[in-house]
Amino acid sequence: MRILLVEDEPELRAHLHKGLERAGYTVDLADNGEDALHLGDTEPFDAVVLDLGLPRIDGLTVLQRWREAGRRMPVMILTARDRWHDKVAGIDAGADDYLTKPFHPEELFARLRGLIRRAHGHASPLLRCGELTLDTRSGQVRYRGETVALTAHEYKLLEHLMLRPGAVLSRTELTEHLYAQEVERDSNTIEVFMARLRRKLPGLGLETVRGRGYRLAPPP
Amino acid sequence: MTAPRSLRWRLLAATLVGLGLALVLAGFALQALFRQHVQRQFEATLVTQLDQVTAHLDFDAQGQPRVDTRRLWDPRWERPYAGLYWQIDAVQPAEPRPAVLRSRSLWDAQLTLPPDVLSAGDVHVHAGHGPAGEALLIVERTVRKAGAGDARWRLAVAAAVEPMEAALRGFARVLAASLASLLVLLGLAAWAQVVVGLRPLRALQRGLQDVQHARRARLEGRFPAELQPLVDDFNRVLDQNAEVVARSRTQAGNLAHALKTPLAVIAQVAAAAPPGNEWAPQVLAQVDLAHRQVDWHLARARLSGGGPVPGRRCAVGPVVQGLLRVMARVHGDRAVDMRLEQGEGAPDFAGDPQDLQEILGNLLDNASKWARGVVRVSIGRTDDTASRLRVVIEDDGPGIEAGQLERATARGVRLDESVPGSGWGLAIVSESVQWLGGVLHLERSALGGLRAVVDLPAAP
Repeated sequence: MRILLVEDEPELRAHLHKGLERAGYTVDLADNGEDALHLGDTEPFDAVVLDLGLPRIDGLTVLQRWREAGRRMPVMILTARDRWHDKVAGIDAGADDYLTKPFHPEELFARLRGLIRRAHGHASPLLRCGELTLDTRSGQVRYRGETVALTAHEYKLLEHLMLRPGAVLSRTELTEHLYAQEVERDSNTIEVFMARLRRKLPGLGLETVRGRGYRLAPPP
Repeated sequence: MTAPRSLRWRLLAATLVGLGLALVLAGFALQALFRQHVQRQFEATLVTQLDQVTAHLDFDAQGQPRVDTRRLWDPRWERPYAGLYWQIDAVQPAEPRPAVLRSRSLWDAQLTLPPDVLSAGDVHVHAGHGPAGEALLIVERTVRKAGAGDARWRLAVAAAVEPMEAALRGFARVLAASLASLLVLLGLAAWAQVVVGLRPLRALQRGLQDVQHARRARLEGRFPAELQPLVDDFNRVLDQNAEVVARSRTQAGNLAHALKTPLAVIAQVAAAAPPGNEWAPQVLAQVDLAHRQVDWHLARARLSGGGPVPGRRCAVGPVVQGLLRVMARVHGDRAVDMRLEQGEGAPDFAGDPQDLQEILGNLLDNASKWARGVVRVSIGRTDDTASRLRVVIEDDGPGIEAGQLERATARGVRLDESVPGSGWGLAIVSESVQWLGGVLHLERSALGGLRAVVDLPAAP
């Protein structure tokens, strides 16, 4: 899961960055509205955590411009503005959730998970595909009644595929969701991860669609 | 002296007292002038009569005076006690002899002239009494016969003053009646003037009532030159008030931002501590408490900065709908069915939309947080005579135990001992509602959870 974290306060940004990475997210950072706007316009994010009081372009404006441009990724506003007036304005500008500072990091992560899940049309925190279950809250993967140990990258890849069962996902798309912008990308690694997943989850419908990408076939 | 109740009566009373005094004085002055004039006229007539009698005075061979009464034209000379008399007294040379000759009208009486010494040609005026006891005005002169030595006679003509007095009384009556009617007419004119003159004050009063009842934010319209400065000043005060409100809100918001981001950092640091760290839970708890303190005081600052702002009103429906949109997102994980029932003729809220938003937002948030699946909001009017705005928010959550309901909204509830199932937000809401002149009521809902009833001032 790739997250854009927009926060101008360096301390808070650093801590959130660490926390989000620990929670298994791939995190891109922006400390002003202009960069945030550009990143959101050009990179595919699974979710955005957006501060409102930003230098250069205000967070609310950034959000409005994204929505006007048709960017539909879930956005969580994280701000000190706790008046209901501000919350209504934020939601009406197109935010999907609104969390006020100070906050419990756990709450932020829980809400972020829910946000991403709902964005993919899943009401439950538990993703299912035949005999495979993935708990987005605990990060636990169970297959045929057994807990399966996955690396962070394998987990991210599997979660992404499970959020869109049956859909064909291109290699580029998967890469973009796996890595932050600054990391050197190599789409060949996707093949490596897919091979490992197939080994760890034998019999799962992880298909290669020649020339287009991969898909998780729904159970028969 | 008690203060007069109305400006109109004050003006009217002053005008009427002034007018009354002026008219009474004018009445006396006119009456005195008229009396003077009539008296002079009367005297002049008497002198003419005296001249006539003098002209027809003659002396016989013995030197005794003689008056040719046939040639005196006034018939009253001949009628007894007619009120017009003449009489001749001998003064010299021997002892004085009164009434040597007199008019027939004196009959058997005679005039008693006061002792007086007149030089030749003088005419003197006296007051006296006639044969019937009537008041008389007497004019006299002294005559002597040419070549008759010292022999001198007092020739007196008298007339009753009663006819003159009657005329004067009649005039006084007419004068008094005229002046009284004048007073009434002037009084009416003064009343009309006061009413017309004070009409702008009425308009001003209505304008102020509009401001007070939140129908307007300022005094509208043009007023007379004497009132306009007052109106302008008042509007300036209203504007200033609104500006202070806006500024204090901005400052409160800035303060919030300034405090909350560092608090968020502290919470992050504490949360990132390795498991088993003994400080972390304590730090997180203190951050929570600090957060509540900030919220509590912010809410109060916003309210005292805001307060019941005159001239504000806002529709409740859109406010609730906006908040429900927020709820649908913020509590999106918990598929809560939220429904708004807007009663017929639900009034507007008399106040700032942001204040209403804060109150209803906290209540809705609370309801959504605890609801199992249903939140109901209804907007209406109270049944009592006050006819206030009533918003009811209920949920099907666990609710609050009967014994705790009171405490959940108690003033000065300690921030670290919130009532289970209510959150400390209810205490803030309760205080905000009271500040805005309303009441917050908590009870058990038929849905099973909490039923919060907020009564607030309705815009007329």
